[in-house]
Formats: sequence, structure tokens, C-alpha cells
Amino acid sequence: MSVVRRSRWSYLSLQQAPLLLAFVMLGITVAAYVLFFDLRLHHLPTAFAWDSTISNALPLVFVAAGQGIVVLTRSLDLSVGGIMDLTNSLAATHMHSSVPSMLLWSLIVLAVGGATGLVNGLLVTVGRLQPIVVTIATMSILQGLAAWVLPQPGGNIPASYTNILANSNSPLGLVFIGVVAVFWLLLRRFRLGIALYAVGNDAEAANALGINVRRIRTSAFVLSGIMSAAAGLFLAAGSSGGDATGGDSYLLASFAAVVLGGVSFFGGRGSVIGVVCGAGVVTLLVSVLFYANVNSFYESFYQGIFLIGAVLLGMVVTSLAQRRARGSLRRSRRRW
Amino acid sequence: MADSAAGTSPVGWDWTKWWTTQRRNIAYSFGTVVLLVIIGGILKPGILSGSSLSVLAELASFVGFVGVGQTLVFLLGGIDFSVVWVLNAGAILIAVESAAGNGSLPGALAITLGMGLAVGLANGIGVAYFSIPAIVMTLGANGIVEGLSLGLSGGLTCNTCKDPPAPALLTGLNGKLAGVPGDVLVWVGVILLVSLLLSGSTFGRRIYATGVNPAASYLAGVGIRGVTVAVYALSGLFAAVAGIMLAANSGGASLGLGNPYLLESIAAAVIGGVSVLGGRGHYVGTVAGCLTLVVLVAILNAELIPDYVRSIVYGAVIIVIVLLYGREKQVA
Repeated sequence: MSVVRRSRWSYLSLQQAPLLLAFVMLGITVAAYVLFFDLRLHHLPTAFAWDSTISNALPLVFVAAGQGIVVLTRSLDLSVGGIMDLTNSLAATHMHSSVPSMLLWSLIVLAVGGATGLVNGLLVTVGRLQPIVVTIATMSILQGLAAWVLPQPGGNIPASYTNILANSNSPLGLVFIGVVAVFWLLLRRFRLGIALYAVGNDAEAANALGINVRRIRTSAFVLSGIMSAAAGLFLAAGSSGGDATGGDSYLLASFAAVVLGGVSFFGGRGSVIGVVCGAGVVTLLVSVLFYANVNSFYESFYQGIFLIGAVLLGMVVTSLAQRRARGSLRRSRRRW
Repeated sequence: MADSAAGTSPVGWDWTKWWTTQRRNIAYSFGTVVLLVIIGGILKPGILSGSSLSVLAELASFVGFVGVGQTLVFLLGGIDFSVVWVLNAGAILIAVESAAGNGSLPGALAITLGMGLAVGLANGIGVAYFSIPAIVMTLGANGIVEGLSLGLSGGLTCNTCKDPPAPALLTGLNGKLAGVPGDVLVWVGVILLVSLLLSGSTFGRRIYATGVNPAASYLAGVGIRGVTVAVYALSGLFAAVAGIMLAANSGGASLGLGNPYLLESIAAAVIGGVSVLGGRGHYVGTVAGCLTLVVLVAILNAELIPDYVRSIVYGAVIIVIVLLYGREKQVA
């Protein structure tokens, strides 16, 4: 009996090891943030510091969640930064400070993101093209469109909109992070969520089991498009304006968050909850380096080290868990 | 060797066997270049002048150097994102190290190429021995090189950072031999060398074998890890070469020099019919891809089309071209 319980625990730890690691890394980064903040300013982070950190993290949380869903299906979306470019420019040039305008333009922006994702998805599935090629091409197109919509950084985002989406004086941002988490926890229990994993693990087997692989892969790109558009809205709200190149840096950051969140680039393994933690780590890391007095020129050096280190750590943890699972399996076989 | 016997015999020559998808794609991409040059010649006859063509060849060569690595890495089914900052670091290194004059040039070249090789080796070891996904490994390496370049040069504010490289390098690469610029001559040499490597060497066969099926190649005795490390090392080396060429061409290093070359090297390889899944394609195709991109941009510039339209056309052309001949047999 004890053998069975042990093996079940091992199975669980094997499944969730990368997710647990993501939580541990988030915990360590938060601790480092508090430590260096205190060393530099001689007091603990204030409520304002926490709130602004959370609202700073929101664009990355959303765009990385979308990227995570695409990576789960064993694809990747290089156009997420381009979608953010276009959507934050659209919001900054068109939104007025009336409730209907804000609602309408938020919806239009999300629809633009969804439509872009649909185009990506259809080119990949129906067009039978490689995701890297398709999304690098649409990235270029989106960057062009963004520069056409907003030639110079500027535009205007209503203050009331900023107060809702990027409020540094209240922990409202946690609600949005909660929305992403709840959305994912629901999604993965529905048919689509399960199919995402199935397609990512083995598309041919999923197809044989009656899953419409094309539709699932396209859906992943559409979700990523909508999430990236939402990230563009948060970005515009946070900077109270638009910038046609503002989303570009989020491409690399989204991959970093996905990797730190324990989603496997070989598809079918990982969780968007982990990606949200990963986005938190990536955002906090910048603050940690700042409060640790690290020359900002070296920022990407540490991010690169951290990225590669986290992948290696993730693999070590997974292989330890696997060895453990295999070991207990061997023991239980001997018993039977 | 029955195949080659059939191939050489005048009766048994089967052109359908010779006319592979790979050769067809390369022919298509050269066809695209010819078509674009004709369109350009009609729209702006100036494009066909000798001086304009030599500038175009020079611009294509910069993409071409980065494209060597990207093509080889694609043939293994990988991707190299680190070319952006390896290129930029290469440009900074050659300028700083050879600023003292011609005497310091050999050392500067060794340091710069060594840097590219070292980053490539690290990428290869990470991918081959630690099974880190190529995209993560090379993105991480890109960040590390970016941070070190910015940090060590103080954001390119050091004393010798803005200096031009040694005069010998400038005259050698910018000077012309029979109307052909020096860097284009180097590129022609590289094209021959890489083609020989891919089509006529054991190492080339091993690259294709590993790209098509790593497990089968391993069982057939191919050292797939060694091949992977060597390919990534070459990619780093050629990104550094591109940095040297660009520094010589623009008379010094600047920040963000490498930024356009990730997209362009990937686009050139893809337009040239190299599959990102590995095993299919040839550097000759990538060369056609480089020329396609450069001629396209020249036409758009000559028509005074604004930058943002250029970026849109760029993306659209990539999609149209891959839709024409880059489609996968089946995507489950």
C-alpha cells in the first residue's frame, strides 16, 4: 500500500516539478527584492512600491500567458511584440475619456489582436507554414502598421483608463492577474484546454483520437493574439500614451517568462500559472538589479544568465523527479 | 554506388531525380531575384548601373555572412538568435582592438573571431550536451553578450569605442578590385567555401543527416553532438565576421548595428528554400534570398516608399514566397 502511495506522490512531483520550481523562484525573487530594497532605502517596500511593481508586471503577465498557450501546442509566436506595438498605438490614438469610447476601443483592440492571431493560426495550419516564419513575417507587418498608426511616440490615454488598468496606488492589478489565473484554471478543464496539451504532446495521436488539430493550433494563436492585445492595452495605460516600438522588448521577455514558468518548448508540458510566476520573476529581476546597484548596462547580461540557469535548474529538477518516479516504479514492480 | 553510375551514364540520366525539391526551390529563389531586378530596372533604370549593383551586392553580403550561420543552424532544425549581439560585439571589438593601427590588426581579428567562435561554442554545448532548446540557449547567450558589450564599453562611451578600425582593414574591405568591393570578394569566397562544405564534404553530409534524423544518424555513427557544436560555433564565427565587415563599411561600431540582421538572415534563408525543420536547403538558396531582400528594399527605397510600408511589404513578401514554395508536406 505504501508503495502505491509513494509512486503516486512521485508521479505528482514529476508532473508538477517545473511548476513548483516556478513558485520557488518567484519566492526567492520576492525575497531578494525585499532584501535589496531594504538595504538600499532602509525600510521595507511600501504599499506603493508593491502596487506599482504589480501594475508594471501586467503587460508581461498577459503577453507571456498567451505565448505560454502557444508554446504548449509546440509552436511559438514571434508576433506578440508586434501585436502589442499595434494595439497600444491604436489605443493611444483613438481612445477618448468617455466610458463608451474606452469600452469600444478596448473591444476593437482585443478584436484586432484576435484577428491577427487568427491569420497567424490559419497560415500555420491551413497554409502549412512554419510558425517561426509566419510569425516573424506578421511581426514585420504589424510593426509597419503600428508605425503608420502612430509615427511618433505619443497619443493620449484617458487618466480614468490608466486608473483602472495601471493603478499604482491600489492593488487592483492583482485582480487582473487573478483573471488570467482563473481563466486558465477553467480553460484547462474544458475540452479546448485538454486538447491544447494533447496536440502539444503528440499531434498525430491527438488527431487519431478525433481532435481537430488545426482548430486547436489556430485557437492557441487566437488566444495569444487576444492576450497580446490586452498586454498592449496595459502597456498603453501604464505609460499614458503609445509607442509604436513599445512592445518589441516583450518578445524576449515573454520567452523568458515561459521558460522560467516551466513550460516545455517541446510542447505539452507546463502551466500558464507557472508562466504568470515567470512573468513576476522577470519583472522583479529588473527591480532587484536596480536596488542591488547593478549598472543598468549589465541588465541583459544577468537576464541571460538567469534564463539559461533557470532552464538548467528546471531540467535537473525534472530529471531528479523522473529518476525518483522510475525508482519507485521499479520497487513497486518488484513487490508485485 | 549504383546511383552515381546511373547518373553518369548518358542513357540512364534521370533528370527527375536530379531535379529535387531543394534544387527547384533554389531555382525559384534565383528566379525571384531576376524578376525583381527586371521590375527594378523598369521602374528605376538607375538600379542596374554598375555602382548601384556593387552597393546592392555589398548590402547583400552583410546579410549573407550572418546567413551562413543561420542556414547551417536551420539545417540542424535549430535557430540562432544570438547573431544580433555577436555581430554588434564583433563590430565593437574590431574597432577597439585595432584602433591603434595596422600593427594591432592581426590580434584584433583573432580576438573578434575568437569571441564569435566562443559564443557559438557555448551555444552548441548548451544545445547538444545540455539539451537546452536552441531558442532559449541563443536568446540567453544574446542577452549575455549584449550585457557584456554594453557594460564593458560603458554603453559605447569608452575612449576608443567610436574610433574606426585599422586603415588596412578599411582599405582592404572598402577598396575595389576590378569594380568589385573587397567585402563582396570575401563573400564570394565564403559562398564557394560553404557550398563545398555542404555539398562536397563529409561534414556537410553529417549536417544533413543530423538534420533529417538525429537518432538514425547517431546509430549510423555520426557524432551528432560534435556536428551540432561545430555548426553553432560556425554560426557565431560568421556573425562576428559580419560585425567586422559592417564596422569596416561604416567606419566604426555603433549600438544596434546587429538588430536588423536576425529577421533578415532568417528571411533570406527561408526565401532561399531552407527549411527551419532541418535537413533541407542549401546556402546557395540563402544567397538568392539575400539578393531578393536587398533588391526589394532598393526598389522600395527608389520609389520613396516610407519605412513603415517597407516593413509591411517585407513581411508580406516573406509570406507570399513561403506560400508559393515553402509549404510543409503535412502538418498534423
